[in-house]
Amino acid sequence: MLYIIEDAINGILMGSIYGLAALGLTLIFGVLKVINFAHGSLLMVSMYVAYWAVTLTGLHPYIALVLVVPVMFIFGYLLQDIVIKPIFKAEKNVREPITVIIVTTGVWYILDNLTLLIFGPQYRNLEANPLRGKMLELGEMLISVPKLWGFGAAVLTTLAIHLFLQRTATGRAIRATSLDREAASLMGINAYKIYNLAFGIGTAIAGVAAVALVPFYNVFPTVGVLFDIKCFIIVVLGGLGSIGGALLGGIIIGLIESVAPQFMAATWTEAIVYGLFLLVLFVKPSGIFGVKHDW
Amino acid sequence: MNILQKIAVPVVAFSMLAGTSAFAENVKIGNIEPMSGPSASLGQQGKAAREMAVEEINAAGGIKSLGGMKLELIYADSESKPEKGVAEAERLINTEKVHLLTGCWNSAVTYPTTAVAERYGIPFVVPVSVADKITEQGFKTVFRIAAKDSWWTRDQFAFLKDMQAEFNTPVKKLAFVYENGDWGTGFAAQWKKLAEEGGYEVVLDEPYPSTSTDLSPVVQKIKRAKPDVLLLTSNAADAILLTNTLAEYNVQLKAIIGSGGGHADPSFMKAVGKNAAQIFDIGEWETDVNKPGAKEANEKYKAKYGQNLSGEAVDAYLAIYVIADALERAGSLEPAKILEALRATDLSSGPGMIVGYDKVAFDETGQNKHAALVIVQVNDTGNGLERITVWPKNARRAGYTPVFPMAVK
Amino acid sequence: MTRNTLQRLLPLALLATVLCLPLAVRSATYLHIMILVYLYAYLTTSWNLVGGFAGVLPLGHAAFFGIGAYTSTILSLQYGISPWLGMLVGGVIAAAVGVLIGLPTFKMRGAYFALATIAFAEGFRVMVENIDKLGPFALNGPRGLQIPPLNFGLAEMMFSGKEPYYYIILIMLVAVLLLTSFISRSKLGYYLNAGGEEPEAAMALGINVARAKVIAMAMSSFLTALAGTFYAQLNLYIHPKSAFSLDLSFEIAFIALIGGRGSIVGPVLGALLLRPVSDFSRIYFGDTLPGMHLIIFGVILILVMTFQPRGLQEPLTRLYERLLDRLSGERRAA
Repeated sequence: MLYIIEDAINGILMGSIYGLAALGLTLIFGVLKVINFAHGSLLMVSMYVAYWAVTLTGLHPYIALVLVVPVMFIFGYLLQDIVIKPIFKAEKNVREPITVIIVTTGVWYILDNLTLLIFGPQYRNLEANPLRGKMLELGEMLISVPKLWGFGAAVLTTLAIHLFLQRTATGRAIRATSLDREAASLMGINAYKIYNLAFGIGTAIAGVAAVALVPFYNVFPTVGVLFDIKCFIIVVLGGLGSIGGALLGGIIIGLIESVAPQFMAATWTEAIVYGLFLLVLFVKPSGIFGVKHDW
Repeated sequence: MNILQKIAVPVVAFSMLAGTSAFAENVKIGNIEPMSGPSASLGQQGKAAREMAVEEINAAGGIKSLGGMKLELIYADSESKPEKGVAEAERLINTEKVHLLTGCWNSAVTYPTTAVAERYGIPFVVPVSVADKITEQGFKTVFRIAAKDSWWTRDQFAFLKDMQAEFNTPVKKLAFVYENGDWGTGFAAQWKKLAEEGGYEVVLDEPYPSTSTDLSPVVQKIKRAKPDVLLLTSNAADAILLTNTLAEYNVQLKAIIGSGGGHADPSFMKAVGKNAAQIFDIGEWETDVNKPGAKEANEKYKAKYGQNLSGEAVDAYLAIYVIADALERAGSLEPAKILEALRATDLSSGPGMIVGYDKVAFDETGQNKHAALVIVQVNDTGNGLERITVWPKNARRAGYTPVFPMAVK
Repeated sequence: MTRNTLQRLLPLALLATVLCLPLAVRSATYLHIMILVYLYAYLTTSWNLVGGFAGVLPLGHAAFFGIGAYTSTILSLQYGISPWLGMLVGGVIAAAVGVLIGLPTFKMRGAYFALATIAFAEGFRVMVENIDKLGPFALNGPRGLQIPPLNFGLAEMMFSGKEPYYYIILIMLVAVLLLTSFISRSKLGYYLNAGGEEPEAAMALGINVARAKVIAMAMSSFLTALAGTFYAQLNLYIHPKSAFSLDLSFEIAFIALIGGRGSIVGPVLGALLLRPVSDFSRIYFGDTLPGMHLIIFGVILILVMTFQPRGLQEPLTRLYERLLDRLSGERRAA
């Protein structure tokens, strides 16, 4: 029993970081109505930014947030403004333009391989950071400290995004655009500007996830791919576009990955995750918790 | 540069690419390696090592029996995908008119590409791709430098037996943890057989997806199964993750034995630091190997490419020297002559022979029958973490006593 | 020559050219590249039945491809059944799976459908990776299946030269093109199109859109599985990561979108343009700038989608029409 509690705690902590990684994806989907296949790559870029920020300045990884978040926000904002917006303009009349999916995949290829060209295929790792390898002893249970920090970051970010969308004028404009683009633009909201903003914020959240990951995880050019599909599954489980759903979806995946291997080979958990994913799609496509959009 | 020129340059380059093959003034060696994608790190190490060997051979006057002919390397990126490897083998053979092929690191790419070479009768030297099956396809054109996986696993168990005797520490319970690809499952199948023969109890037999983002569940399983010894087959990213997580969860074992690959990757020790201490790993070459030229070769490589030679890189380095030796004896670029010379290989000296064993010669399947393995322990004896050869005992670094069982950390 | 004669003669001339190509191109390299062009054109045309006409974005066709590859390979390795027969068996199994996948997923829209198909294909990959033996059938898990290059010949669908492969995939491609052009003019094509563009209106007209889509899915998955067998026989080795490859599913969709989704010539144009670019850039940069070929691929995707969101088929068709005008001296009848 104690084992299962220990595994569940690890699952919740790791899962919350998955959720944090997926949060940006769900926000971007909620507003732009397209799946951003470059999301894993944006996470990868963020991890490199975080890695270099910490390595060059010697700061505590979480202090590096002040650097990583704005850099990634600008990166995402410009990416949407320069690369993706023109396609939206060309496909004005389509609600979920498939061409944009293809473009984000193009961005994925470019970012991953540009990173390979610039930084090489090596695996990097923040060797000396104050969080690395720290474990919290709780009786007989061991809990990873960097994952605990990641959990905190995930919960706070989710809360902050929720409040931002509910309480601020910009947040309300984003919500209005996501619900009805035409109506919003009639009310004087510049939809494309909102798209840029949403993409920037979504990428900045990937930056937060990267900061949560680098203290204990490897950085390499194809690292984003490992998180890509996981993020898609999470946002569907939680309901595409649902902010709280991303966190909960992530925790579900984390729990399956952490608890299920105690009863079967670890390789089968992947199959369980896909099975659950399909089940949710068939039974309740709006996600386990989702109304269509809860914001 | 105007637009026309911009287009013209690559077009001309392409046509040159296709055209140069007509008059061969070099010996062309085609190399199929994963240069991009998940195994890019290994492909690029293999490339660097080959380059170093070729530079040395050419600087020393090329292939003398061919009038000082130079070696030329042509690379093709497999992206670790079998179908890309096949397409590239076709191209290298038919368009580039290569005289020999080498590659492909991923066994999944090596199987079908060696079949292509076999069809054309082009010699194919495999530096590393350890699956037994590669030399057991009945092909006449395949030669492997590295030991095959049944030898790797055999030596891991022989080592374990010797250590128990030497340190009077019995080992009963084993745990097998491996990536769920061709390589890991191949090793695990052999381990199971050997464990049965050796009378060990297998308390955990756990494959994990090589794309795992969190290995703490697997580490927990190891911890709870309470094995004496843990055998691992991991790629770089998961080797790093596993080693760090094992340390975090303070898993107490008598020994951890890696299978090369990720544990031998130059980024491994750098990324895990002191958590790597006292881990055993198996490989074909180490920086401390007692061979003339080994140290110099490593210094040179390190100065050039910024990392130590890995076992994989040395196999690639040696492969080029084996090829050069065969060409020298063949005195011809006819595939049949080169094949004949490769079959008659009996290489025991030269700059390439920095490996732990004394000779390269191929058996009738094309397997290098002398290929032998050493086992190292990662440890710090005052010069920072390094890989120290400990087994076989006659190869052990002078003055070093292996730590077995592992100290309680 | 009148414009009409030209219009009829040019495709025939094209067909004659591709039929004679292996006589002119003796290099196995280029034949292999052409074989891959046709294979991807074939796969994309098959995909187009669902992805183009029915207006959804399936991103999991590797599932059917893998089923085809594994079925025929297992049957031939274990039971000595000719791959030609195995191909059909694989096709039928894939069609059944396609229907099973299609029934629930076609209710979904847009992103959900795309993600669901990915999950199916990846789910298949994970299962094959984890299963060594499925009843009497040896899947061999992650180690994959090797076809020993022993019995060359038509009955074994295994050849030492490239030419037979070239003609097999060419015939398959021409057949699938004829089939799609027939379907696009049939009732089914009309239903699919109507359902893709205006599903509500189509249903109001009493068109059973869902049924049309499921039929299209069955055909598409059947045809895709045939290509899987061809792939296995061409490479003589399959393993879960290559036969159920997510990259393959994606590449099919890219080719369709770059060429022009929903048109007959689009997939062929897409394959003809994208495949050689990706092959040659890999050859050219693979040595010095690893990954550069994928960067180029990504840039092309973005540029084409930005400036020709309907695919290259539109401007190229216009160009072709103008060429016909020029050659015949007539204007196209409006």
